[in-house]
Amino acid sequence: MGTKKQKTKKKPSDEILKTKRKRLSFLVRMEPRKMILYPLVVFLVAALILAVHFPEKGIDLKGGVVVTVYHVSASPNELASYVKEKTGIDVRAEEFKDPITGLSGIRIYAPAKTAPSKIADEISNAIRLKYKDADVTPRVVDPTFGKIAQKQGIKAVIYAFIGMAIVVFLFFRDPVPSGTIIFSAFSDMVIALATMGILGIELTTATIAALLMLIGYTVDSNILLTTRLLRRKEDTIEDAYLSAVSTGFTMSTTTLGALFILWLVSTSEVIDSITIVLIFGLLADFMNTWIFNAGVLRWYIASPLKFSIKLRRGK
Amino acid sequence: MMARKKGVKALLLNWRVLLLILFLIGSVVSMSIKGLTYGIDIGGGVALIAEPEKPVSKDTLNGIITSLQNRLNTFGVKDITIEAQHDPETGQSLIVVKIANVTLDEANQIKDLIESQGVLYMEFNGVIFATGADVTVHSSDYGLDLQECPTCWYVGFELSGKAQNKFKEIAAGKLGWPIDIYLDPPVNSLLVVSPRVYQEMNSGDFMGAPSEGTPKPLVERLKEAFNITVVEYSNQTAEDIVENATALGKDKIILADVPEELYNDVRELVLSKDLKLRVSHYTPQQGEDLKDFVKRILNLYGPYVLKFDPAKGETTRLKLSGSAPTKEEALQEARKIYSVLRSGSLAVKLHVVSEEYISPTLGASFKKQAIIAGIGALIAVLLIVYFHYRRWRIAIPVASTSLFEVIIILGIAALIRWNLDLPSIAGIIAAIGTGVDQQIVITDELLGGTAGRVTRRMSALRRMARAFFIIFASAATTIVAMSFLLVYFVGTLKGFAVTTILGVLIGVLVTRPAYAEIAKYLLSLE
Repeated sequence: MGTKKQKTKKKPSDEILKTKRKRLSFLVRMEPRKMILYPLVVFLVAALILAVHFPEKGIDLKGGVVVTVYHVSASPNELASYVKEKTGIDVRAEEFKDPITGLSGIRIYAPAKTAPSKIADEISNAIRLKYKDADVTPRVVDPTFGKIAQKQGIKAVIYAFIGMAIVVFLFFRDPVPSGTIIFSAFSDMVIALATMGILGIELTTATIAALLMLIGYTVDSNILLTTRLLRRKEDTIEDAYLSAVSTGFTMSTTTLGALFILWLVSTSEVIDSITIVLIFGLLADFMNTWIFNAGVLRWYIASPLKFSIKLRRGK
Repeated sequence: MMARKKGVKALLLNWRVLLLILFLIGSVVSMSIKGLTYGIDIGGGVALIAEPEKPVSKDTLNGIITSLQNRLNTFGVKDITIEAQHDPETGQSLIVVKIANVTLDEANQIKDLIESQGVLYMEFNGVIFATGADVTVHSSDYGLDLQECPTCWYVGFELSGKAQNKFKEIAAGKLGWPIDIYLDPPVNSLLVVSPRVYQEMNSGDFMGAPSEGTPKPLVERLKEAFNITVVEYSNQTAEDIVENATALGKDKIILADVPEELYNDVRELVLSKDLKLRVSHYTPQQGEDLKDFVKRILNLYGPYVLKFDPAKGETTRLKLSGSAPTKEEALQEARKIYSVLRSGSLAVKLHVVSEEYISPTLGASFKKQAIIAGIGALIAVLLIVYFHYRRWRIAIPVASTSLFEVIIILGIAALIRWNLDLPSIAGIIAAIGTGVDQQIVITDELLGGTAGRVTRRMSALRRMARAFFIIFASAATTIVAMSFLLVYFVGTLKGFAVTTILGVLIGVLVTRPAYAEIAKYLLSLE
């Protein structure tokens, strides 16, 4: 590992770090009040969007039938009208293609009012009759199971959130920084959900998992910031903030890059929707951590409030 | 040069680095010995989620699971996993059944099997004398019958009064005649079998050891008791078979040990004529003799042999017994029969509420995709980290630590036989994502002491402590959040939670400390 000839020039790399900090230094010059205000506005807008247009529920939460067909020599419209003609079921067909493996197929959606598995059987049989080489993969969710899954999803998110809040509070034992972290996580989720609504990404068990994962990422960056500022060993808050934000920038861009590649490569609906939600959640997280939370902390450290609490902590 | 060599040696002997190396070796060994197993969304297969018709107790739920296991085992598929989730508050339960490597037709049959109530029949000479409701099995009333022989087994049970009387009536004085026990036999079907199977069905294997008189042959017993018509295959066309089945008013066609093309032809014919006929195809498995093959098609246990005259004596407790080559096998057989008899008395119907089928041929392309995606993401990490620090001695350790982490997660997955499905892979990716984040935190803390205008007010040790405070805090939160997913979700997303938790744990305990040592060493060279 590493280079054989030892390069003694360490200046170029340090230069890079310095320029990165210089580029990010506009954040330092921002007023704490604005740093708090702008993300709050974004949060409110996202909440408003959610109130008006909540993401559609996917079939695993709503119930329904999806039949995915691979290796079929027909256009989605052809297939949909053939199925409609043969079975009398009103279906919607959609094509998808993977740029790397070249695998393509058609997904056929049917509503699930009564006896969803019979509908799936009829559709699959009709397709297999005409297209002998087609790979037919039906997926059926009964509306009653959809309700169970929904309930489980809500429970999982709420409990995970409470669990996260407790752990964060135990680590910092200081209501303002802990509360800010918890609010940031909440805001990330709201913004991610609003983006899902706008982009038409459905709320499924997979996207719920992504929202939970987001909690993990959010807490990562927020704990980094809070620790760096509260256990500051640099000369000034500005220095500490700048060094933390440059670490955070490296973290976010690396994760975003990896997620983007993942999204590019995968054809699986599950992985696609997880990565998209994470990408938007992380973008929201960048704002909420490095602008909103940083603003709150900068104000908090400068305010007299903080000292009393610090004293109570015995430090 | 010498000093540097010494440094490398000291680094390799550092216990954190040693631990990483040990885990890596262990994982590679575990993967090569045990191999990775895949979930049905990668390997192909069917995932079904079933719900009991009414709330059941945890005990009943366990009973249902054993029963399902038995019934699905007779189906002849190997990779079956059955999990159950029970909510003690509401009494609501869900049963998740995953079966690898099945065709769509088989998947549908499995669904039917789960939804059918699992009916147990006891049949004697073409007459059904008891069904599941008539049979009572007391708990743990089975075992080895050492008085008979060292490898003899028995299962005790009781028959209801009505069934007992009927049994007395039809079986009086017929010592040595065969008694058949069926669990979900293919009632009302047309069974087309190859000549050798037909011959087997009419052979002495299914005739018991009668002391006097001649029992009806199996083929006749099946016709009378279950309306199963057995036909010998002699190059009939698909049309002949389908016509025959329709004429007889059957609702199933079973093809056993006949050419695969015939099965395909029959299936297509049924599809194109839009007939309400289920078609299935059985072929003998490797090492399976014809007797076992016949038993598998029919879901037949036994035949057992009547050892006493039911007309004499008043005992209500009956006993099934047999022998096996070894004690272990005898006990295994007894346990199987015991659970079959018990499962016949279950009264709860299951309803399949979610089904997902993935064709086995697609599995390979998913696997390829996952590998490409993983490598792509890793290269992205390598390049982006390099771009930020312009040092390969940071970028390469960061990326390779991530790679090691993947290897260790996979190694442990192989060890605990975790089925890798798409959500599990997403979980691995998520864990790697946070892993890279934390390595960057460590790196920046290390660099903070040397680069920039920041004063050296903290020793390297204190800086590491601060980095690990951040790491532990975020690991703890992720683990707590994911644990709820594990507890409150059934089925599909469990894999996500498991691999994420696994990844975070490995990260905190193994890879992160090792990375810190390696990075410290490499950066000290500058």
